[in-house]
Amino acid sequence: MKNFDEKRREFLQVASALGMSAALGGYSIQTNAEGHRVLNARSHLKLASLDPGYMVGGSEITIQWALMPRLANFTFEGGALGWAPSDFVSHLSQPDGSHIDYTLKPGLQWSNGYGELTSDDVKYSFERMLESEWKGDWSALDHVEVKDKYSGTLVLNKAFAPIWALALLSGTGTLVCKKATEEVGGKYTVDVPATCGPYVMDWIPKQKVTLTHNPLWTGPKPYFDKINYISIDAPEAAELAYEAGEVDCTKILAKTHVRWMKSPPPNTKLHVVGALQYMWMGMNVDHPKLKDIRVRQAIQHAVDVDSIIQGAYEGASIRSHGMVCPGLPGQRKESPVDYNPGKAKALLSEAGVSGLSLVLKTLNVQERVLAAQIIQANLGAVGISVKVIPLDSGPFWNMGQESKGDEWKDLQIWLMRYGGSPDPHSMAQWFVKDQVGIWNWERWSDPEYEDLYIKGQLETDPAKRSAIYVRMQEIMENTGAYVWIGHEPEVFAHRSNLAPMFAPSGEEDFARFTAA
Amino acid sequence: MLAYLIKRLLLGVVIVFAALLTVFCLLHLMPGDPVSIALGTRATPEIQAQYAEKMHLNDPLIVQFLIFAGQALTGDLGNDVFSNRAVSVMVFEQLPYTVILALSSITWAILVGIPLGCLSAIRPNSWLDRILGLISVGTIAIPSFLVSIWALLLFAITLRWLPVIGAGEIGDPLDQATHLILPSFAVGLGWVGYIARLARASMLEVMNENYVRAAWAFGLKSNTVIYRYALKVAVLPTITMIGIGFGHLLSGTVFAEIIFARPGIGKLIFDMVMSRNFPVVQGAVMVTAAMYVITTLVADLMVAWLDPRVRESL
Repeated sequence: MKNFDEKRREFLQVASALGMSAALGGYSIQTNAEGHRVLNARSHLKLASLDPGYMVGGSEITIQWALMPRLANFTFEGGALGWAPSDFVSHLSQPDGSHIDYTLKPGLQWSNGYGELTSDDVKYSFERMLESEWKGDWSALDHVEVKDKYSGTLVLNKAFAPIWALALLSGTGTLVCKKATEEVGGKYTVDVPATCGPYVMDWIPKQKVTLTHNPLWTGPKPYFDKINYISIDAPEAAELAYEAGEVDCTKILAKTHVRWMKSPPPNTKLHVVGALQYMWMGMNVDHPKLKDIRVRQAIQHAVDVDSIIQGAYEGASIRSHGMVCPGLPGQRKESPVDYNPGKAKALLSEAGVSGLSLVLKTLNVQERVLAAQIIQANLGAVGISVKVIPLDSGPFWNMGQESKGDEWKDLQIWLMRYGGSPDPHSMAQWFVKDQVGIWNWERWSDPEYEDLYIKGQLETDPAKRSAIYVRMQEIMENTGAYVWIGHEPEVFAHRSNLAPMFAPSGEEDFARFTAA
Repeated sequence: MLAYLIKRLLLGVVIVFAALLTVFCLLHLMPGDPVSIALGTRATPEIQAQYAEKMHLNDPLIVQFLIFAGQALTGDLGNDVFSNRAVSVMVFEQLPYTVILALSSITWAILVGIPLGCLSAIRPNSWLDRILGLISVGTIAIPSFLVSIWALLLFAITLRWLPVIGAGEIGDPLDQATHLILPSFAVGLGWVGYIARLARASMLEVMNENYVRAAWAFGLKSNTVIYRYALKVAVLPTITMIGIGFGHLLSGTVFAEIIFARPGIGKLIFDMVMSRNFPVVQGAVMVTAAMYVITTLVADLMVAWLDPRVRESL
């Protein structure tokens, strides 16, 4: 039994914490009546599959990381994305560009009596990815060599620098239990046949996933005893839930980020986890109206991107100068293409073009329609009339794809946004020659770009790699087919006494959440 | 009566079939390739082909519909193409939340709307009637999603009296009840106005009937005339309206389900339409259409039970 002094001290601590919280009017992470540390986090939970080979992504990756083993964790040393051995391995190294050695910690147990995590599980997990829906992320893997029960080597078919960001640090780097997965036919959805992570889950469809300590887990105990990962689809509803104290951590909209930077809810910290989206206005170089590069260059100079960032995104989006997103090797900090309506008019005049009218297509999303209207006004100022057509996602995503009909032939200019993994390769892949008529809707190709695309995969020196991707973006810009606009950041709001850990693409790594 | 019941049930089957056919046609008329929308950029041609085969997208439309209708007749609504879960399980997981929300919303709307309508009808064109008329029309005119957001900002964020999101902890009825207050307030508010206006119109009509005037002439107490004789008949059209309204709410609570992050059938259908998950949309629509048919049938039977004239005409 505790003595009076201890009780008095505890009482004073709790009372002062509550008093401080009441005085500030804000919420903070608390322990529940049983003394458990409980975190309520918002999920945009479309739980369809927890199988790393067949998942959709997003919140599913967050849950996989809580339940399943992996070889590497992401790190952010000096603001740069890196990797470190996970709690499941005693050794992880890359002796050369095409080999990655690992040694698992002994004694890590799968649930449901499936025994220990072994090297056979690693081999099975990664080699099955080559047949999965996410095989693109693992295209560089040749095979996994098993040395003994706990150690082995990932053998790549070539040096492939993006293997970490694309595969090992992402959801597709999750390990599964060979025996259990084979018993359910080699594939599963939401009923994970065996888990081996710091947490176990309980799922109420369309409501929440509850994560609690895994009794079999022998690794470091996570800080939170219980995590309610609550499904809230609408981001605005999630923000209200945060303000009402019902969730302690949520992703917020870019416009809310701007508002909360000026006046945040009490006891709140904002956390920009990354900006892996890249938005641009594309031009179809094959379209008769845009075939002349001077017309495309005129359009590049006619669009006032800063006005779009301010007018459509309230300053919340980061100005873009290329496809490579902030924080990644190869990000361009500036571009020679500036807003210059006079130069635009001169280029049009040089090309002998007057009275040009174009159709600008965009997804029917508020910010993008606003951006389109600003572009319409900008181009109108240099004598190009623009008709804006907002589209539903169905027709929008088909319009540049040759396999979906003939609409690509009429496609002129459009607003586009792609998202990627935290490696420039994931951005560059959509603009190679093979992607013309698939995702390269601008329909250009360049031998130097193709060559650099391969070199970028093989190069492991960060400075040289960075130079490769900078040059690739210059090539893209020189086609005149791109007006780079912005990188919308992924921002989370959380209680001040929470120290979260997010992947750059916005997934929460709950096992690494602690108190601030 | 039995013949009427059988006739209505057969008609119900036709209605459900027609609803299914309409939804099926609408889904396939929606622009955009369902495979691209569902699978996104990562899907290879082989995976797209597998998906199309799984969804029977390569079959003629009529074959696709017959496959679904044939399975539905045997009680099999198929499986979700992503999670492989049974559609019937997914739908019946969500249905109770929607039924409870619709029931609580319509119940409070009845409890407030009918007395408001009666009050207006007792003193037509008085200042009370005009104020109540203004309130009724106001509740109809204000969009429910606005009411939801205002209620949420006031009661959950500013006053912190009520919870914002979810349906409450399973096994904790008090928690579930508190989570129901704001959504059912928002959903039911518009129905208060409808029911009050309908009850007022019916009451005014009934109050001029000979039997009511005779009751007044006999010197019966006003409460007896109004509540025992007039209201009993005047409420009949309202019951039919409530039946239709309840059926409507089974799929019309989607805005509240999204804003309050509640599970429910409306949100399920919305999500699945957006991801072109046809089997789940079709299964959910079939179940809601069947519920709608049952609800209106129950309302009609209640009217027949209350009104001997209707009962004898069946």
